[in-house]
Amino acid sequence: MSSVTVLLGNERAEIRRLGEIAEKFGADERLSDDESMAINLVLDELVTNIIDYGFDDTGRHEIRVTMAVEGGTLTIEVEDDARAFDPLAAAPPDLTLALEDRPVGGLGIHIVRTVMDTVEYQRRDGHNILTMRKTIGRT
Amino acid sequence: MDIFQTTSDSGILTLTLSGRLDADTTAKFSEVLGGCIDRGDRKITLDLGALDYVSSVGLRALIVGQKRLATLGGKIVLCAVRPQILKLLEIAGFTSIFPVAATREDAAELLR
Repeated sequence: MSSVTVLLGNERAEIRRLGEIAEKFGADERLSDDESMAINLVLDELVTNIIDYGFDDTGRHEIRVTMAVEGGTLTIEVEDDARAFDPLAAAPPDLTLALEDRPVGGLGIHIVRTVMDTVEYQRRDGHNILTMRKTIGRT
Repeated sequence: MDIFQTTSDSGILTLTLSGRLDADTTAKFSEVLGGCIDRGDRKITLDLGALDYVSSVGLRALIVGQKRLATLGGKIVLCAVRPQILKLLEIAGFTSIFPVAATREDAAELLR
């Protein structure tokens, strides 16, 4: 198994750094463009959300991101000590609505759920842990 | 992200986006798009041929622009969308609210 763990501070600048690490991970693991973009999207959506909305104080917090490939499975885990938030509790957006009725938000977690095969949420010891898996096919 | 603006003879504004439309760059895009609508542009082509990546923050800016234009009798048409970006637009349900054209010429037809 090959895996990379990244510890991030709760500031926006970290998202770009994470993106670069994820890109390198995708290249090292010879993931397809679609698979690499899935990792990028998932991490961008989740970590931006945690940094922007997760914390009630202005102190420093750590967000731990792990990317792993084992056999034919890509696993991404995101752990934070932000306030309890289960992104899976949100109802999926109604994508059949007409433009005027369409809400402008709520797409981030829908994208995460769509590009990954499984998404599991746990609240453990004051931490949110989101574990996502996707079957990958190496070419 | 870079944004290039061009206006054709038939009153269609074309904005060409390149790079990433994400949490870092979307404010700039929204400002440019909003400014164009403020000054009266109603028919807008977004050429996404050089756009590598869009996050949900960018998608939100796109739908905000499309909603605003709809109330003013205008429309955004997307063109030259790369396959990966198109897949994301489909996931987000955007292909039913944004016409997607292959080329700028096709986009102009949809805006006539």
